[in-house]
Amino acid sequence: MTLPFLVILPLFGAFSMPIVSLLGKKLKEYWAVIISGATFAVAAKVFYTVWRNNEILLYTLGSDNPIGRGVNFPIRIVWEVDLFGALLALTITFVGFLAIVYSLGYMKHDTGLEKYYTLVLVLELGMLGIVITGDIFNFYVFLEIMSIASYALVAFRNDTWEGIEAGIKYMFVGSLASSFILLGIALLYGQYGTLTMSYLAIKIAENPTLVAKVALAFLIGGLLFKSGAVPVHMWLADAHPAAPSSISAMLDAHPAAPSSISAMLSGLVIKAGGVYAIARIIFSIFNPGLHTYLRTFNAPAINMDVIGWVIVFFACLTLLVGNAMAVVQTDMKRLFAFSSVGQIGYILLGIGIGVLAYGTRAGELALAGAIYHIVNHALIKALLFLVAGVVIHEAGTKNLNELSGLAKRMPLTTFFFIIGAAAIIGLPPLNGFASKWIIYESSAMYNPILAAIAVVGTVFSLAAYTKVLFTFLGKESERVRGSKEPEKSMLLPMLILVVAIIVMGLFPWQISDKIMIPAAKMLEQLNGEYILALLKFIGGA
Amino acid sequence: MGSDMGLIVKTMARATIPLIGIFGAYVISHGHLTPGGGFQGGATIAGAGILFLIAFGINEAKEKINKSLYSALEGLGGLVFLAAGMLGLSVAFFYNTLWHNGPIFNGEPGTLLSAGYLPIMNLAVGLKVYTGLVSAVFAMALFRRWRK
Repeated sequence: MTLPFLVILPLFGAFSMPIVSLLGKKLKEYWAVIISGATFAVAAKVFYTVWRNNEILLYTLGSDNPIGRGVNFPIRIVWEVDLFGALLALTITFVGFLAIVYSLGYMKHDTGLEKYYTLVLVLELGMLGIVITGDIFNFYVFLEIMSIASYALVAFRNDTWEGIEAGIKYMFVGSLASSFILLGIALLYGQYGTLTMSYLAIKIAENPTLVAKVALAFLIGGLLFKSGAVPVHMWLADAHPAAPSSISAMLDAHPAAPSSISAMLSGLVIKAGGVYAIARIIFSIFNPGLHTYLRTFNAPAINMDVIGWVIVFFACLTLLVGNAMAVVQTDMKRLFAFSSVGQIGYILLGIGIGVLAYGTRAGELALAGAIYHIVNHALIKALLFLVAGVVIHEAGTKNLNELSGLAKRMPLTTFFFIIGAAAIIGLPPLNGFASKWIIYESSAMYNPILAAIAVVGTVFSLAAYTKVLFTFLGKESERVRGSKEPEKSMLLPMLILVVAIIVMGLFPWQISDKIMIPAAKMLEQLNGEYILALLKFIGGA
Repeated sequence: MGSDMGLIVKTMARATIPLIGIFGAYVISHGHLTPGGGFQGGATIAGAGILFLIAFGINEAKEKINKSLYSALEGLGGLVFLAAGMLGLSVAFFYNTLWHNGPIFNGEPGTLLSAGYLPIMNLAVGLKVYTGLVSAVFAMALFRRWRK
């Protein structure tokens, strides 16, 4: 069984980092690379297993059986991995590995690097835990691990005022959002007396009380914050510019964090802790199909259409405001951060339509598009933040007004940027096209107005990225005269991401049919597969 | 900067620090039998460390507290916890194989050498909490830049 190693390996790496860093100066960096590389291999194995068997993997901690002796309900923590979770685990470890390799060169001039690598591994651990867990309190613990590691990483460069400011802002509002989520979990536990997600789903369907609705509202509210949806997106726009670029790829507290951190924030944290968790809670705990079924018999049930419309409302707001705000930015990482907000809007739109049109072709397509876009945006935004990190590293500024004409000094980086920008707008030979197309198509099938709003968002996005293009092309400015291509350890991760983007762009419909549609089907669980994976241990199903 | 505290405080600290330390060690090692455990006991011992820092001052503490050692011990605490969780990996992660199969920590319930991996995990968590809290407070005490 390889699944527990998804958590064991980063935990081992993080705990052994203080000891390893005493043994040699360069050793800690190679140690982080080895550990994250091994985690990537484990995630690939888990993904392959789930994909080949096409069934949900259930792992019990502490025993071989989740059911307690003498009782017929689950008493242990279970990890339930469906194709969606496995796919996200693969994406997280892939981008995390590349961000760590990139950090070798990018973070060279910073101090306290053993703490940096410990925190990055802990951040990766938290996200992996979120995507594999089937226990709602376990989910909360991993969410906090992820959040606290990202607060610390956003404020990692604590000699800069913007790092500290972004870190404090992110930490204050982030802790509030986490406490909403904890309150929602406490309400569910008080009402139903269980914390296992699939068993909770049964209990809620048996007796859908007002408490369950209030808890759902708290959970969705807290998680919309974590994903950077529009009324509560401001932490993201501040944090990314401050974070080291490799983390922005994971998180989205972009402008303040080191670029490596920005890459992780934007690419991964807002997806694992935000949209993934929203989708998991809506489809696995409060299943729309289950409650619609109950309503046809006039049994008490939760009206999931309301949740669907709430998500669609925030999605439309997010993709309009996020992309429009990106157009007016003059700070490169801030622009990318707002663009991340806008792309989260597309993912939320896909999830929202997946709830509203549950059980139809449009709903399934919308979910598949959302899942596809999560993966694509993780790769593209990681690439873009790593490019931003190179520009900051070489030219010493991220102000778009001071930069122009980098193309001659850095032809490779310019090429990488153009690929990334074209992919995020959705030009056909690249991977962003297919996922956006599926989201447009499904929203047009459900309601043409939503599709029109989505297209308007993309127009803004096009304008924003055309603006950045002038940073690279155009007349050479004073500022960029001394800049040159970065070292190999920074170029290589970007090259790998570009290759991944192009290769995924060449087989869009094959990937969609073979991976994304099955993942959407497993998430939708039309026949309650997520619940049955647990129930088969009771033997009553 | 020397110590601000007077003779009475220092003498009392000399007397109470060992007592606090012993009580914390008791709470940790009886975590599986009485209320308390790794976190509570570790925080208690860290209280002794903070009393030392306040009573004897930062200069005295600088000589006694080795940053690398504390950092390494904190990592070690985590590693021991993880290793205890992995002992029964052939059945499942966190399977309490010491309790079910021995050879040690499988005594009569209620005795000190019972409860399988729990005493080991309590010790590991206690070590991690103590070193972590003391390092954090010590780092903040060293951060003395009230003005430029």
